[in-house]
Amino acid sequence: MQELPLLYRTAASSLSVARSIALDRNLILYLEGLVLRAFFVVYGPRVGILEALGGFLKRGFPQAVRGAGWHILLATLAVAAGIAIGYLMVLPNEAWFSLLVPESMAGGRGPASTADQLRRTEIFAPWPGFVDSFVVFANFLFRHNATIGIMTFGLGVLGGVPTLLLLGYQGLILGAFLALHYNRGLLVDFIGWLSIHGVTEIGALILCGAGGLVIAEKVLFPGRYNRLHSLAMAGKAAAGLAGGAVLMLFVAGIIEGGLRQLIASTPWRFAIGAATGVLWTAYFLSIGRRGGHGSAT
Amino acid sequence: MAQRLDRINRLLDGITRNRREITTPEGVMLEVDIANHGERLVAFLIDFLFWMLATVLLFFVLGLTLLHGVTGSVTFTVVLFLSFLLRNLYFIHFELQSQGATPGKRIVNLKVIDRSGGPLLPGAIVARNLTREVEIFLPLGLFFAVPKIGAGAEFWTAASYFGWAVALSALPFFNRDHLRAGDLIAGTMVISVPRRALLAELAEAQSRYVFSRKQLDAYGAFELQVLEELLRRPSSPDTHGMHLQVCEKISRKIGWLEPVPPAETLDFLRAFYTAERAHLEREQQFGRYRADKNEPAATGP
Repeated sequence: MQELPLLYRTAASSLSVARSIALDRNLILYLEGLVLRAFFVVYGPRVGILEALGGFLKRGFPQAVRGAGWHILLATLAVAAGIAIGYLMVLPNEAWFSLLVPESMAGGRGPASTADQLRRTEIFAPWPGFVDSFVVFANFLFRHNATIGIMTFGLGVLGGVPTLLLLGYQGLILGAFLALHYNRGLLVDFIGWLSIHGVTEIGALILCGAGGLVIAEKVLFPGRYNRLHSLAMAGKAAAGLAGGAVLMLFVAGIIEGGLRQLIASTPWRFAIGAATGVLWTAYFLSIGRRGGHGSAT
Repeated sequence: MAQRLDRINRLLDGITRNRREITTPEGVMLEVDIANHGERLVAFLIDFLFWMLATVLLFFVLGLTLLHGVTGSVTFTVVLFLSFLLRNLYFIHFELQSQGATPGKRIVNLKVIDRSGGPLLPGAIVARNLTREVEIFLPLGLFFAVPKIGAGAEFWTAASYFGWAVALSALPFFNRDHLRAGDLIAGTMVISVPRRALLAELAEAQSRYVFSRKQLDAYGAFELQVLEELLRRPSSPDTHGMHLQVCEKISRKIGWLEPVPPAETLDFLRAFYTAERAHLEREQQFGRYRADKNEPAATGP
């Protein structure tokens, strides 16, 4: 194995010599095949799956997040605008709520719900038990969120506008819920209920959207390179953003499905939400700053 | 070089395969055959089969160990989640482990490489396989989750998921390098790496036939290599017929007057190949490379 690079170079130079002096087609084709196969071994990936995933978590993902500053800002703005619009629409007229929020998301909540109902069945609903909360519900949430996240990412190919619209729509739903709870005097409790997982979940959604926007930028403004080339250069980082965000959604699903109803006090929920926020920020800003041996992504 | 080899394949077998040149970091130009749609589909189906088998096996084991006290919805969830995990790990693991070839690709002799000839990085492999999820599995999963014979909105939702999957799967048909969306994003492409053996030298040390320089000037490298391919074919009545035909053509072209008996056709062709190759290689070393018979021959003394 130590000698392989040397043998590879010997074969490559033999090929060059053969091409210039010999007309034996079989010999040249054989050498080409040999050099090509050696090339794969010499320049192929030499890490296992665990190392690759570890490298991704230690360097690739945080670096991708740091590299996408204004994309993240833009995605955040889209969500914030959605929240503001949804809030302002539903606040004076709750009839908008059922228009904005699809039935499956509303889950029985709506203009007809009373404060007491919301408090009992939603915010401080009883914990459904270990298996149901951690396995079934968490998984349902994960799949639902991952679908939306990956869609925001994939739609980036279409130039970024669908990505922003989808992000804005998610914000719209959230804003509608906020207004609904504000009208019933439950705003603080609701934000607590939301923040415990929402920090992770909305963060992941924004990262997915940012990944989509990176793609969109390269499609719309390829710069010095041609579109394919520029897409290939940025695509790895963008896919890294989306892939990492899906992992974040997995964490969010576990918190949302399991922990949220287990911890039935608003201050504690705020504390956990803030803690996750601090942890993610620290992770993105500090991990993997020192360059390792070459780039791993 | 690329042009020449391509022409020979096209002439003899009617194969028209796209080729692409990559330059290794050493500066050696290598031509690679881009994988066909059919080959890629077959490789994918084989991988799909392996993945299904692995998933079924896993659930068989799980079913034996965790049979009691689990409700239907929990089982369903676990099935979905584990198959998702297994699928992604399968593709990523094998493409990392065996230099860009999953078992399916290995059977069909395909490989994933970096499009510009650089090293294939783990990040690219992860990216191209995560995108597969967006391209095919996610929309199809959603498509099957939506009740099909619904009215209005549901129908359109299902149709849009299906359209998404079909549009992205059709992407390889619309570019020269047969790239799918994952390849675009990761900067990779899939090529075909046929296995070739080094065959015996065809040139003979001595022969009864002697050709003059003027006769050897009739052909160039292209014709020589077509002749080589023909001579290397396994012998069969078909090949023999072709040899007779070629022998007659060559005799006419170079003005070989005495008739070649059918039994000695092969000897004659081999002798001609040897002489022609020696001649052309000598000319090439003097800087007079001749690609085919249409190029003017070097006017020597």
